[in-house]
Amino acid sequence: MAVNSIGTYDFPSRSRQELYGDDQLVHVWFQENMWFCASACFRAPKAMTWGDFWNGLLVPYAEEDPDFDPGARRVWTLHGEVIEPRDDQTLEEIGVEHKDVIGMRVLA
Amino acid sequence: MTIAPKAPRKLTMKQRYEALTRDLDWEPSYVETSEVFPYTEFEGIKIHDWSKWEDPFRLTVDAYTKYQAEKDKRLYAVLDGFAQSQGHLSLTEASYLNAMKLFLQGVTPLEYQAHRNFAYLARHLNGPGPRFAALCQSIDEMRHTQTEIHTLSNYNKYYGGFHNYLEQHDRVWYLSVPKSFFDDALTAGPFEFLIAIGFSFEYLLTNLLFVPFMSGASFNGDLPTMTFGFSAQSDESRHMTLGLEAIKFLLEQDEANVPIVQAWIDKWFWRGYRVTALVAQMLDYMLPRKVMSWKEAFELYFEEQMLGGLFQDLAFYGITPPKHVEHAIAEKEVLSHQVYWTLYQFSHAAAFTTTFPDAEAQSWLSDNYPGTFDKLYKPLWDKEARNLEAGGRHFVRGLPQLCQVCQIPMLFTEPDDPTTICQRHSEYRGEKFQTCSDGCQWIFEREPEKYVQAWLPVHQIYQGNCGGPTVPDVLAWYGIQEGDGGEYKGSLDAAHWARWHDAADHSHIGSEA
Repeated sequence: MAVNSIGTYDFPSRSRQELYGDDQLVHVWFQENMWFCASACFRAPKAMTWGDFWNGLLVPYAEEDPDFDPGARRVWTLHGEVIEPRDDQTLEEIGVEHKDVIGMRVLA
Repeated sequence: MTIAPKAPRKLTMKQRYEALTRDLDWEPSYVETSEVFPYTEFEGIKIHDWSKWEDPFRLTVDAYTKYQAEKDKRLYAVLDGFAQSQGHLSLTEASYLNAMKLFLQGVTPLEYQAHRNFAYLARHLNGPGPRFAALCQSIDEMRHTQTEIHTLSNYNKYYGGFHNYLEQHDRVWYLSVPKSFFDDALTAGPFEFLIAIGFSFEYLLTNLLFVPFMSGASFNGDLPTMTFGFSAQSDESRHMTLGLEAIKFLLEQDEANVPIVQAWIDKWFWRGYRVTALVAQMLDYMLPRKVMSWKEAFELYFEEQMLGGLFQDLAFYGITPPKHVEHAIAEKEVLSHQVYWTLYQFSHAAAFTTTFPDAEAQSWLSDNYPGTFDKLYKPLWDKEARNLEAGGRHFVRGLPQLCQVCQIPMLFTEPDDPTTICQRHSEYRGEKFQTCSDGCQWIFEREPEKYVQAWLPVHQIYQGNCGGPTVPDVLAWYGIQEGDGGEYKGSLDAAHWARWHDAADHSHIGSEA
């Protein structure tokens, strides 16, 4: 169903990729950890490596959890599939697109 | 003999109302009706006879103004007395005012927006009865805006968080929740607005949105706000009647209106319900002296009165309870806890404070939420207690993902699993959009071209539109000052409160540096 309107109704998205240049928004969904009340949103270059994303953005955010263990084994998911990102891969190479949600779960 | 002419007979109230409305109406002859009223057709609603609109109040201008003036006089007498006697010192605690900060920042600006749109309806509805009812409501809403500002302005002399509510309403992340809700209604057609605000907001959800603030005031020594609440109450009952009249009128005019109205009820129940998330945490966590739990309020005001009463009546017209209502019912056990846990972690970027619920508060939560608090949320607070002992205080070091529709951080959980955050994905024109629930996803997918325009605060910060890249830059742009937000314990409000209550001489109050 479309919007009922008195005239042409066609407006661009207010969060489209081009507004972020070479960057994109990336969401991280902390699974099985209620300490983080909600999923996080980062702005990151598409060419950022996974290592830099982890060390530069995700660890500083996740360290707020007193039980955070950077060395713990984790399961990562993207688009409903398990992924195994390597530190030297860029977000683009891993397949992360603008406004994607990366799931993160610590293995017990 | 001459007979003196009779003095003109005074019209009855009913005749005066007829003269004011029906008798001042006319059929256009130089132009088409659709040119005079260009906005009442495009939504697909069919009205065959505008005169069938029954206004149960039959107000006239003089009766209306006389009555409102009396109420204002009473309110302003209370405000004066409260201000002169340092009444703010008799509140339960300064932290109570967080509820009022939220009200002034989040709700008062909506009253003004309601004033605007009812003024628009007062011009653009075809029928003279509904036009005049909308005019009265438009004036009411303006009066509510003004009296709320006056009522709460006294606190602005002594406490943080009250000084920049209008700009904050337009800018701050948690206030984009009520703002975008109302913007959604303002940008709809006149009939959808009537169902969105007149019916869903003012009737279906008013006891969950508006009344809890006023009851909170009465339980926590806030006489001015309570008096304002009473002053607004008679208007509100008129608004509720208008909302109910609007829906019945639309349903009775044409059977083809039924599915359109049903879809609006489905949409606006969920939109309004999501806004009540802020009220839920206020009832369960912000009030020093509790009124009732969110769960209790939801069961009484929504499940019993609306599902058990109103929707039984509306079934006659073929209207069913709103879509996704079962998810709202399932959430009543978890909603307030999830929302407050979020506000607790983000209050460094808010114009209100939060604090760790003490033993008494936790025991109340445990008693009122026997199935969920001890199992799911107490462990979080226990962990935070250890964190506090170690000198920490949990504030999030970044920005949350927001729901594209309700704009609340993605904090809600799956209806059948309170430990798994709900993530719903949609694509529109090759772009990805996330929503927090089946309700918000359904709303998004129904009108994606509307919601892709959402001004999501987090995205705007990342685009560089909110004062700069750092937290202090953004807070400065929000107009949030030292003492407005963060942790309540040790805050300026808490420090002043303690000092004022320790002091034998109160003459210096309000003149602190």
